[in-house]
Amino acid sequence: MTGEVLDAKGLNCPLPIVKARKALKSVPVGGTLEVHATDPGSVADFGAFCRATGNELVESTQHDNVYRFVIKHLR
Amino acid sequence: MDPLATTTIVGIGGFVVGLVFGATVQRTNFCTMGAISDLVLMGDQRRFRSWLLAIAVAILGTHGLHFSGLIDIDKSIYLTSNLGWLGAIIGGVMFGFGMTLTGGCGSKTMARLGAGNLKSLIVALVLGVVAYMTLRGILALGRVPIETASNIDLKAHGLANQSIGDMVGALLGLPGSTLRLVLAIGAAAAFLLYCFKDADFRRSTTNVVGGLIVGLAPVAGWAVTGILGNDDFNPTPLVSVTFVAPLGESLQYLMTFTGSTINFGIAVVGGVIVGSFLMAIATGTFRIESFADRDDLVRHLGGGALMGAGGVLALGCTIGQGITGMSTLALGSVLAWLSIIAGGYLGMKYLEEGSFGGALRAVFQRD
Repeated sequence: MTGEVLDAKGLNCPLPIVKARKALKSVPVGGTLEVHATDPGSVADFGAFCRATGNELVESTQHDNVYRFVIKHLR
Repeated sequence: MDPLATTTIVGIGGFVVGLVFGATVQRTNFCTMGAISDLVLMGDQRRFRSWLLAIAVAILGTHGLHFSGLIDIDKSIYLTSNLGWLGAIIGGVMFGFGMTLTGGCGSKTMARLGAGNLKSLIVALVLGVVAYMTLRGILALGRVPIETASNIDLKAHGLANQSIGDMVGALLGLPGSTLRLVLAIGAAAAFLLYCFKDADFRRSTTNVVGGLIVGLAPVAGWAVTGILGNDDFNPTPLVSVTFVAPLGESLQYLMTFTGSTINFGIAVVGGVIVGSFLMAIATGTFRIESFADRDDLVRHLGGGALMGAGGVLALGCTIGQGITGMSTLALGSVLAWLSIIAGGYLGMKYLEEGSFGGALRAVFQRD
């Protein structure tokens, strides 16, 4: 699974979402966008974002203070 | 045993209110900027409903205290007869725009600082200094002409204050206090209905609990200054939870500590930082954070300055005007609140488009 990767480390709300929303537009439907972030609020934000926009949050994990989200572009 | 001085009692009360507020914001992710961001960027209304729930709770509690005779909200700054409509609009838009650049309003900045975010320390310093400069310093030279040119003295129009209930009452020839009560119950009921008709919001316990506790904070604040601080000889000014001017005062307090006395606002600021720190430690979310890059620093400096100047011009922030002021149903507070939301929307578009011109185009050209 090779998709686009967005580095949003060091940015806080709402910028990771702003950038992810923009990046997702260039991802073909069915493709994935991987986001790396450090804002602790981004866990709730990306959950809410996918829920509200109808995209699928395939993965939400944390390694060494970096959160990794994989979003599948559904619509 | 000497009784505690009133200033000490008010200080302890303010600290406790701040402590609960800070812990709640850290735990529930209550965020007025986040409310606008969720709404604009994702169409998720839950955090916005949480803010409206806080306003509804604050309206009911504040009017409960007022009509039971425990406090007199007409003595608060929100209900004066001096209507600073232009300051509320310009300052509100500046504040709303600024908080999107820093990723949070004044209270969120305090909570983030407590949780280890050093960007928020810089924002707090800039916000506090610029607020004080606008209040008493060189920037007051810009603020005063705006107020002198636009402020409306309602007394000249036969109105005692800017309570919407009183104003409508005067227009219709009905008793102001009755209309005030009707309006308070009506507005709170409308907000509560809007919040709880949504199943998503009802299911979201953190948003419900966050809104409830945050809404009770201004009510507790009125009680601290208006009841506990009601000293016959040296009454405490009737104030409640707000962050912009108190942040400036907090910096001054720290710098001139030996010759200064604590007040309610300073105590709240301290309480929020400590409350959020304790909650961050308890939940394992304490983390030292710093700027990502140069642009990140520039955004935070600009946002802090806009919030400091705008917050003073608008007489408050998303909490000070957006919940505490709204709880009095003052016309100026409603203007400031709506302007902050408009500024927040514009700020969100600015972040998306990357330029101010692009943001304006995005606002006015609907696709």
